[in-house]
Amino acid sequence: MIGGGSTGAGVARDAAMRGLRTVLVERKDLADGTTGRFHGLLHSGGRYAVKDPDAAKECIAENVILRRTASDCIEDTGGLFVCTPWDDPAFGDEFVAGCRATGVPVEEIRVAEALRRAPRLHPGTSRAFTVPDAAIDPWKLVWGCARSAEEHGAQILLYHRVLGLERDGRRVTGALVRNELTGEELRIHADVVINAAGAWAGQIAELAGCRVNVLPGKGIMIAMNHRLVNTVVNRCKMPADGDIIVPIRTVCVVGTTDTRVADPDELEVTQAEVGEMLDEGEKLVPSFRRARALRVWAGARPLFSLEEVSDTREVTRSHALLDHRERDGVEGLVTITGGKTTTFRLMAEVAVDAACEQLGVDRSSRTAEEPLPGSEDGRFYFLGSRLRAREPVPQTDEIICECELITRERLEETMRRRGSANLDDIRRTLRLGMGPCQGGFCTYRATGILHAVERLDHRAANASLVSFLQERWKGVHPILYGDQVRQARLDDWIFQGLLGVQHLPT
Amino acid sequence: MTELVRDSLDHCVKCTICETFCPYSRATPLFPGPKYVGPQAERYRGSGASVDASVDYCSGCGICTQVCPQGVKIAEINSQARARLWEERGIPLRNQLIARPSVLGRLGTPVAPFANRTLRSRPLRLLAERLLGIHRDAPVPQFAGRTFQDWAREHRSPVAEQSVVYFHGCGTNYYEPGVGQMVVEVLEHNGFNVLVPPQDCCGLPLQSNGNFRAARIYVRHLVANLARYARDGLPIVANATSCSLMLKREAREILGVRDEDVRVVSEATYDVCEFLLLLHERGELRTDLQPLALTVPYHAPCQQRGHGIGKPALDLLALIQDLRVIELDADCCGIAGTYGLKKEKYEISMAVGEPLFNALREAGGDLAACDSETCRWQIEHGAAVHAVHPVELLHRAYGLGPNGAAG
Amino acid sequence: MTYDTIVIGAGVAGLTAALRLADEGKRVLVMAKGVGSTHLAPATIDVLGFDPGPVASPAEALPAFTSANPEHPYARLRPGLIAASVEWFKERLPAIGYQGGLEENFLLPTAVGAVKPSALVPETMAAGDLRTGGQYAFVGLGLKDFYPAYLAANLAQAQPDGHAVSARSIEVSLPLAGRPDGSSAGLARMLEEPSVRDALVRELSRKLERDERVGFPAVLGLARAGEVWRELETRLARPVFEVATLPPSVSGIRLYNAMSSALREAGGRIHVGEPVVGAETSGGRVEAVITQPTARASTYRADTFVLATGGLASGGLQLDSYGGVSESVFGLPLADTPPPGGPRFLPDYFAEHPLNRVGVAVDDRFRPIDAGGQAVYENLHASGATVAGAYPWREASGNGLSLATGYAAAAAILEGAS
Repeated sequence: MIGGGSTGAGVARDAAMRGLRTVLVERKDLADGTTGRFHGLLHSGGRYAVKDPDAAKECIAENVILRRTASDCIEDTGGLFVCTPWDDPAFGDEFVAGCRATGVPVEEIRVAEALRRAPRLHPGTSRAFTVPDAAIDPWKLVWGCARSAEEHGAQILLYHRVLGLERDGRRVTGALVRNELTGEELRIHADVVINAAGAWAGQIAELAGCRVNVLPGKGIMIAMNHRLVNTVVNRCKMPADGDIIVPIRTVCVVGTTDTRVADPDELEVTQAEVGEMLDEGEKLVPSFRRARALRVWAGARPLFSLEEVSDTREVTRSHALLDHRERDGVEGLVTITGGKTTTFRLMAEVAVDAACEQLGVDRSSRTAEEPLPGSEDGRFYFLGSRLRAREPVPQTDEIICECELITRERLEETMRRRGSANLDDIRRTLRLGMGPCQGGFCTYRATGILHAVERLDHRAANASLVSFLQERWKGVHPILYGDQVRQARLDDWIFQGLLGVQHLPT
Repeated sequence: MTELVRDSLDHCVKCTICETFCPYSRATPLFPGPKYVGPQAERYRGSGASVDASVDYCSGCGICTQVCPQGVKIAEINSQARARLWEERGIPLRNQLIARPSVLGRLGTPVAPFANRTLRSRPLRLLAERLLGIHRDAPVPQFAGRTFQDWAREHRSPVAEQSVVYFHGCGTNYYEPGVGQMVVEVLEHNGFNVLVPPQDCCGLPLQSNGNFRAARIYVRHLVANLARYARDGLPIVANATSCSLMLKREAREILGVRDEDVRVVSEATYDVCEFLLLLHERGELRTDLQPLALTVPYHAPCQQRGHGIGKPALDLLALIQDLRVIELDADCCGIAGTYGLKKEKYEISMAVGEPLFNALREAGGDLAACDSETCRWQIEHGAAVHAVHPVELLHRAYGLGPNGAAG
Repeated sequence: MTYDTIVIGAGVAGLTAALRLADEGKRVLVMAKGVGSTHLAPATIDVLGFDPGPVASPAEALPAFTSANPEHPYARLRPGLIAASVEWFKERLPAIGYQGGLEENFLLPTAVGAVKPSALVPETMAAGDLRTGGQYAFVGLGLKDFYPAYLAANLAQAQPDGHAVSARSIEVSLPLAGRPDGSSAGLARMLEEPSVRDALVRELSRKLERDERVGFPAVLGLARAGEVWRELETRLARPVFEVATLPPSVSGIRLYNAMSSALREAGGRIHVGEPVVGAETSGGRVEAVITQPTARASTYRADTFVLATGGLASGGLQLDSYGGVSESVFGLPLADTPPPGGPRFLPDYFAEHPLNRVGVAVDDRFRPIDAGGQAVYENLHASGATVAGAYPWREASGNGLSLATGYAAAAAILEGAS
């Protein structure tokens, strides 16, 4: 399968579990695409209950399944839908009706109770409802699936870009890929190719002459330095921009926008969008602008539409399985697109079902029952886990990334396992440099350790350090103000003043 | 509100300055440092049970908050985390006891000679260490027998144009009533009528031992007694720098008590040296001070520095001719209220105070000056140097009589 | 109590101004929100290191630099003042043992093995000078803030000043089990213990080669740094030097301690933890500054004031979420602000960002001025990173700017008084 996001990793797992010989290719690192760029919301379906009932039903069904099978990736934060002073309280009734009709558990609670659970909410909140929203860690999820897939014999090839799809007449027989790190090209022969490339699915389908109209819907998100709320908070209204805050790990994420873009790789964050997001944040949490914003980023939703639309909010968030035999007369290719991370498992299941059908194999999915590695005990992730692991003191293992409580042992082990010369890969796996100091203190340390553990040439280590700084900067500079600009300035002093990294050879 | 303190964690840029200054993380591996347990760990709190343990080794000295260049309320964050920790674990009997000095005071005062003998008895102290966890060598004070309030009840403060209210605190009342008398006499000497309204503990030891609920009850009760004077525009003067800081700031900031009474009282509360210095700046302090040919090293308690008013004692004592005051540069004496009394923390406390004890011995003064009574007891214990409140020196220089514990 | 001068900020700029004034018998009070820049940066005085290539001699390079950069704070300084401030600093703080001057920059290794020019260098770091070339061994002490192998690998390629340098790394493990504090400051305190130094010398002597000079992370003692460093040089029988690494900067802590005790001995006062939140002004003069540590505000009066609160890093200048920049205490007008609506930062991390040089513009007496060039307050001076026009972390001019401008502010006050 092509694509290392949640869908691709889910497909690899499901296929491998069914005994299919499976290889996954991803042009960069796992979850580099949309899966790694959303706010981490495990939908209850409430958001779609009125507007997109099919999507809502899928969400609640998968929410229940994932809570059972991917518990370690999920924090059971619960969710609230609140009517702020800018929202029509009457919509609350429509909302409840929609939830009931789609099977989303919903309960109206007293506003005082909502304010007790989330003291930072607007004091003028008029109504509040609880739903089983939760926070899901996309990297844990994707790496969990990948690990499970490998345990069942699959091969995961990262930094392998698809150059073309091999064809024999009207049949797709595999892919030509290039290892981006070494430049080596290889041909992969496959009976079925599953295109799970998300927002890039259209580009992949093109390679087989098939047309898949995926509209990248850009959404920006802002991570705030600490959890302003400990439960997911949604505005109770028709879905629009900036109406969700998700507490995820040590931060909370506010999002998002929805702008049609042409290229999922060209996702610029504008100052205007940032301003808009901060204003929306103020409506949910008063004095939001005085809280510390860590970084802003953009992801591209894979919105599948049969026709052209101008407002991407009109496109359904339900998934689409495309069997190219019927649509394009091409055998051996299946595309799974649309959807959302919450429904990834279902998407993977239907994609692998379609593949099995083409292969003439009659095996069904077990992913709804079998837990991911690490989630066997069914216990949810707990915010205080990393802190608990370090208490009580003293501990012998040093902490390298202090904001995210990452120990040297853990860091070295991850570096060895990933065999990567790239600190960003480490960041995605461990959250290195994702805390308030945005790598100010841990980047130098991690580079020194990487240089030793991977026995790197110093230029490669320098390149990794500089590239890490540039990557961090991309997400920091559009939203740099207040406390974060003080941090950035201290970090500048450290990197450019104290260390002089601008003078290093790369 | 508690949220204000937590939100200050946003200002942390991980600069490590607080850790550099923390005298406790330097003295024990059991305390990973203020940055770690404060703004850093706070991002991991708020959801589910407390997982903290090491935050209990924070003494609450507040030096971290004072030196933080970005305005993070580190010690306050720690204080709140500690309270959550103890709320879940259940506060042990020892902490409940030593956190209620007015209760202990009321129990011990009527049987003071007996109580004092008990406190001095080695075998009984060993027993107390085993049963309660109060270290056998911890510097516990002696009951005075006759409380300051006993004296105040019989004392007629001369009528005067201006009045002040005196908040004496538990230490003065039960253990050092002589100091309270001196404070009153110095104020009266400067033309004030001194009122001593009914008052009890400010709740600070309960707060620092994590019992916020009880602390709030105590502080509200105290404030209820003082508020009407504050509303009438009377200053409230205190010699216990920790207790006055509770009224000035901590009740609101740490305990989250936002009552209007607390606000008016906090605006009217002065440390006694602060008050006298302000008088002097207005030209209203009597300067009929005799020379005192003494060398006096001065240690400003951590909680005095927490007032954010500099060290008024220095400027006041500078008015006394021939008095040579040496400003010591040590950070903390180690007692931190009740911290150094505890079996598991006593050694840490003495290690923290060691540089101060050395500096005192080296300074070779006649006696030391220090605003906080618990710090004075620690200094006497650790450095074997007699320590007085700065106001005692003023009292002596005014020639108001060799009262109380001076000399 | 009325002071002669109140200095706001306890970084190098503020402490310099205060110490100069206290030395001349003025009653000085330093008020600071906290402890700052000294603890985060090495104690070297970098006057001008890059323009844009490495500068060999600040004395020679400064005239051209200031003509090319007329808005730079250096351009406001009287000729000879930078040299005077550097000489004064060197002599005033014997505990640090500063070496060097404006004539020639040292070339010092950084913790990643890049090379940085510095004009004035503490004695504990001076032997790290790379200008002579030679053999360097860097010792790792298990400090997580120092990576000598990586440093040496980069340095060996560096060719500073055209000289070849050979560099290698040595790991030494000290008996530190169960010790509380693994930071640079903790390690520095530990190295003040004779037994720890004995263990270090024992293990290191076996591993060093004949002509190597040996570099450590900056942890050679805190209160007794000079002693520790000299002892190691003697016992290892070779030049020994420190390399500055991540905060806490031990050399900076020593500098702060030296300056603050010098200030106290000279009769000055420092109040740390007392942020100034406002001021009382009248008739174009600052009358007092205001703090509000608790519910009640306090007022401090003085004849003159020095604003040394730093720039964006310390909060002396603030940037809000709408892109507005402001000076925190007096609300002074700012210079070098990016055009409104324009970007404040560029996408390339290493670019010169539009907001970099923002600050308070000053006249020749280092008084903040408005757009018309008039002093905003006749008795207010500014120094350090609060002043507009500099790019210190790239020019390698940080402490040099603070020192020179703090010195200049004090000079202006002393002249005004006489």
